[in-house]
Amino acid sequence: MIDKTSTSQDAIRNNVNAGDTIFIGGFGHLIPFHLSHELIRQKILDLTICRSGADILFDQLIASEIVKKVIFGYVGNPTVGLSHSFSRAYKKKSVEIEEWTNQSIIMRLHAARMGVSFIPSKILQIGDKPSNIDYLKQIKCPYTDQKFSAIPSLKPDIAIIHAQLADKYGNIQMWGIDGDTIEGALASDKIIVSVEKIISNSKIKESPEKTVIPSHRVSNIIELPWGAYPSYVSGHYSRDDNHYIEYDTISRDEDKLSSYLKNWVHDARNIEAYKKLIGNTKIKELEQGLCGVKNEN
Amino acid sequence: MKIDFREYSPNQRIAIIAASELVGYKSCFVGIGIPSDAACLAKLSVEPELNLIYESGAIGALPLSKSYSTGSPSIAHGADMITDSLSVFSDLQAGRIDVGLLSAAQIDIFGNLNSTVIGDYDDPKIRMVGSGGAHDIACLIPNLIILMPHDPRRFVDSVDFATSPGSGRDIKKIRDQLNLAEGPSILITDKAKFIMSDEGWLLHSILDNFTFAEATEGLPWSLKPPITGPIETDPAIISALEQINY
Repeated sequence: MIDKTSTSQDAIRNNVNAGDTIFIGGFGHLIPFHLSHELIRQKILDLTICRSGADILFDQLIASEIVKKVIFGYVGNPTVGLSHSFSRAYKKKSVEIEEWTNQSIIMRLHAARMGVSFIPSKILQIGDKPSNIDYLKQIKCPYTDQKFSAIPSLKPDIAIIHAQLADKYGNIQMWGIDGDTIEGALASDKIIVSVEKIISNSKIKESPEKTVIPSHRVSNIIELPWGAYPSYVSGHYSRDDNHYIEYDTISRDEDKLSSYLKNWVHDARNIEAYKKLIGNTKIKELEQGLCGVKNEN
Repeated sequence: MKIDFREYSPNQRIAIIAASELVGYKSCFVGIGIPSDAACLAKLSVEPELNLIYESGAIGALPLSKSYSTGSPSIAHGADMITDSLSVFSDLQAGRIDVGLLSAAQIDIFGNLNSTVIGDYDDPKIRMVGSGGAHDIACLIPNLIILMPHDPRRFVDSVDFATSPGSGRDIKKIRDQLNLAEGPSILITDKAKFIMSDEGWLLHSILDNFTFAEATEGLPWSLKPPITGPIETDPAIISALEQINY
């Protein structure tokens, strides 16, 4: 078996090309902040980023001007408010968009995972349809004559996700909220994964039911504890809601956002620097929080 | 029980009325915010059988601390089951989830909801978050209840963008042809309850201690006096209110 452990720098450099379509994992939970930040540090341009419900990581990628197109069902800062960089880019038309709904994005990924070019669905036949998805076609069921939307497949070049555990071969173990993370990963041609901890293959074999992605689908594994901060990782640390609230104020102002990105992205080149920014007090607090080390369920 | 609704905040008033509407249902598709508060309140008081289902895949959740995201720790913690979003959206499309609660930035007389743009789609005044799962729920859930704070700016003749389709005579005809769910049937504000008709929303009832003028203030729709008197509120709902008071 091949040892697929790597560094963020090498994993991104060796797997992502300018112009790629990237699925980014994490549905409130397990958002791959630190590994995705490497796209910004390496300034990989003209990316298409996609997922169903996107939060502030999308805002940061858009603000960093490496994104050409956003394919989404939702882009915001949940409960707190809007994605200000997305709103600015939308108004300036500096990004292309394809605006779907959460269910349709997930069905698009599912179609790619199943290897079919579309899936019929009842949604997106009434209401206002964004002009950027005008190509969506309606079909008639050959058995019942019922009309459906033909939801087209979406096959990303690569998925970037975060999970709890993996072995060095790339067997990924994940639990807690998944959302569309596993679906999006398995829909993609390549998968790179940051994890809280790399464990032995014999440990993986003790609970193979927790393995959600098998090693042969994974290109690289990177051990990045706290790599999903300020989102959370069940069994490890809770979500830093205050970081999201403060990000709202920061991201309204482009100058403030630039200095945020300098601190949290450009200067935080490795996970030790990222953890130093989070700080020991916060780390202890979030470990004790809901879904943290001792408070998982 | 007759209660003085003025003692409660606007969001609490919406949650109290919405909780009453959830009696008899077994499963509820909920989003974060007032919908989640209302469903929790019902579960804790008048409808203990209700399973709360979040689009993140959490089922049987009961978040008793503030949740920012549908995937938040408070949603995952204590859930009966965590599956993936594809599964819950599949259940939704198959008609296996009884009732849904939605809110939005704008609503019109036919219950069309807007969470996409204020202004023109290509050149908006405000670019908002987009559908998320709202469009999907509005097309598919068998019973749909809309929860809206009584802010006149949010009530319009016609929404700037129909993210989530409404109902009424014309839309219902298309829904029937496409074998979709009926669409919104109830609208709850912090002052009144409305029900859907062929001609759009009708004022059903006004919360105790509020007037017709208050319940319709600033709404652009021509509304007749309420069909019935104030709805009875089960005291268990009021007793449970402090548990979701975060």
